[in-house]
Amino acid sequence: MKSYVKWASPLLAAALVLGACGKSGEDQQATTTPTQQASGTLANADTGALSPIQESTVKLQEETKLLQEAIEKQDAEAVKRLGKSINDAWLAYENSVRQTFPLEYTEVEKYEMPIFSASAYDKVDFAALKVTAEKLQGALTALLNAKESTGNASELLTKAVANYKVYVVEQAEQLASQTKVFAEAVKAGDAEKAKLEYPKARVFFENIEPIAESFGDLDPRIDARLADVEDESEWSGFHIIEKALWMDNTLEGMDAYADQLVKDTEELRDKIKTVELAPDMMVAGAMELLNEAAISKITGEEEIYSHTDLVDFAANVDGSKQVYLAIIPALNEKNPDLADSLDKQFLAIEQTLAGHRTNDQYISYDKLTTDQIRTISDQISQLSNLMSQTASIL
Amino acid sequence: MERERNPDGMSRRDFLKLSASVGVGLAVGASGLAAIEKLAAPRARSAVGEPDAGNGTASEAIPLYGEHQPGIITPQQTYMYLASFRITAADRAVVIRLFRDWTKFADLSSAGGTMRTGDNPLLPPSDTGETLDLPASRLTVTFGFGPTFFRRQDGKDRYGVAGQLPRYLQDIPRMPRDQLDPLLSGGDVCVQVCAEDQQVAFHAVRNFIRLSTGTASVNWLQEGFISGGSGGQTPRNLFGFKDGTANALHQTPEGYRDVVWAGSDEPAWLQGGTYMAYRKVRMMLEVWDRSSLTDQEDTFGRHKESGAAYGKNGEFDPADPSAMPTGAHVRLAKESKQLIHRRGYSYTDGIDPRTGNINAGLLFVSFQRNPEEQFLPMLKLMQSRDALNEYAVHVASGMFACPRGLAPGEYIGQNILEA
Repeated sequence: MKSYVKWASPLLAAALVLGACGKSGEDQQATTTPTQQASGTLANADTGALSPIQESTVKLQEETKLLQEAIEKQDAEAVKRLGKSINDAWLAYENSVRQTFPLEYTEVEKYEMPIFSASAYDKVDFAALKVTAEKLQGALTALLNAKESTGNASELLTKAVANYKVYVVEQAEQLASQTKVFAEAVKAGDAEKAKLEYPKARVFFENIEPIAESFGDLDPRIDARLADVEDESEWSGFHIIEKALWMDNTLEGMDAYADQLVKDTEELRDKIKTVELAPDMMVAGAMELLNEAAISKITGEEEIYSHTDLVDFAANVDGSKQVYLAIIPALNEKNPDLADSLDKQFLAIEQTLAGHRTNDQYISYDKLTTDQIRTISDQISQLSNLMSQTASIL
Repeated sequence: MERERNPDGMSRRDFLKLSASVGVGLAVGASGLAAIEKLAAPRARSAVGEPDAGNGTASEAIPLYGEHQPGIITPQQTYMYLASFRITAADRAVVIRLFRDWTKFADLSSAGGTMRTGDNPLLPPSDTGETLDLPASRLTVTFGFGPTFFRRQDGKDRYGVAGQLPRYLQDIPRMPRDQLDPLLSGGDVCVQVCAEDQQVAFHAVRNFIRLSTGTASVNWLQEGFISGGSGGQTPRNLFGFKDGTANALHQTPEGYRDVVWAGSDEPAWLQGGTYMAYRKVRMMLEVWDRSSLTDQEDTFGRHKESGAAYGKNGEFDPADPSAMPTGAHVRLAKESKQLIHRRGYSYTDGIDPRTGNINAGLLFVSFQRNPEEQFLPMLKLMQSRDALNEYAVHVASGMFACPRGLAPGEYIGQNILEA
């Protein structure tokens, strides 16, 4: 189990540090807890010696360098191996980073996770991974030079909202551009391509669904299911095309819906740019995402024709995780135990979901056994339980 | 405040102290539920009646703590929920935390208390709240451990407790005519909640499930009802016959010792505890209702209205098996020459949409000190030869070992996990 690795991380961290410096003070180091470690993380300005966090970061940068070389050489096996070892190295000291440099932590986490996930997939997307690895290097450099953040609770929250806003805007932009690719395939009558592009576009919507819901009828226009509309003639958006693709097996009459969908996602993108987010909205949105996942995705009701529910489910979880990452500094102040628990639970569910991928995509929802669905459901329940406590930072 | 007495004789301050010490393991962040130790004052403050006297009011509180667990020989309440859990946590410390939380909540709800609601309006309330205005309602909570708690089916002893496996604890072996649904059978832990008020009982079982999130997964949940009338008559099952008349044969301290309570040949934690046998028996109500009174009475070997055995006048007159048709339910029970303590409930569960027949039957629950001697031979005899088989089918099964009673400060399963 992954969680075991997490529990063991204080020990591993100490061991790593020892490995890196390999000299005096071994006894002292070995008994250091992450919290104690965190208090001694800053480099000693007088001597220029590296702090334990910096030592580990230097080592991680070296590993990432190797990964970048493997990506250049298109060496899939080495990429997978390094993806795992980078993850192990990160897990070994991430707790102390989270406690000391929450903002920098979030950045590293953002790029480290996809690299680790890639190590579990059977195909490696070298082009995408190259960009991610570069960004990870950048985030690690920022961590290496980080200064301990100070700020009162309300400053921390303002910063959290600003960080989350960047994410939301980014997702909305990708939603608009990816939807365009999907719509073009639909209009070209290329059902095979449209089927491939459909889940790719959906991800960006599901990541930020609660924000979309705040713009009146934009959300139903984009995302209504047949069951949601009063009159079938009012139905539009992703799911009517989904039905055409997977159920009716004809794209006839879909051009108009495709055009409208592009317009609607562009309107959403523009509106989101100007939206004012408040901390309570953000935290409530994270809960809504998990509730969405727990109610309509876990039952397979969201994607009844394409069975791509796992894509939506994972996107809901990921969108919710972005809120968690944004509020880590505030959690560290008010409820560090909750941050630990959330970290563990996100990891657990990500591991479970990663186990349901093959050929670079999530398996069809109807292929899951009752037991597998139950495991996911139990994990999302626990995650929601924990997430519901994050309002304690407000 | 100091003079406010809990039903079990503690002052509210003692109660809080106790809860705090029992609950140190409950980290807010870890369980996701705001601490149970922040409890509100118990609702019911009536004096505790002798739990087994059977003459208490319907709202009184029955203490959780005592020599034996409540809900075993406690006079039967009107409503029951039976929940089975599979423990998913690999970490023993996490399991202990759940058992502490459960014990604390069992104590609290038995006393008619609730967890505090709404300290922080931005957070979900700690308690679900549906019993805020309701009394304790004779609520009891009874915990039992299934064979897989000690050793999983793959042989793994997850919590280092295989050495504490009771002598007779095993799944009930396959029986003739079994049509068991594995999804509705067995489990690592079962929790039986009984109360005179269904809402009070549901509140408890719902919050047990809620507290288990992240540590255990609920396998199945059954709900039952039974009513014996105001005069304490033996309750009737859905076939209209009295069920549990024979309990009267052992309802003395000596009788319970001989029939119910596990003895010195068992691990210490089970001495004073007992085995719970569970069978969900679907009853074909429509077919039964079309059977003649003679057929019905022949099936049981008792008269329907009076409950008297064939050839007798009163319900409690000693039964004479030879006067009953072979295969009669009561005759077979007597032939097995064993006593068990029956505490079953009826259930209904909508209709079968294909046939329009009512899904209903019996949640058979019996307690006994040695299921191999007392229960399994009787069950085998019944499932092979019982005339009732024409009208009933067993659809779920379970066997659980219920530890002896808890002392204040102790958590359920402590004497297994820390033995």
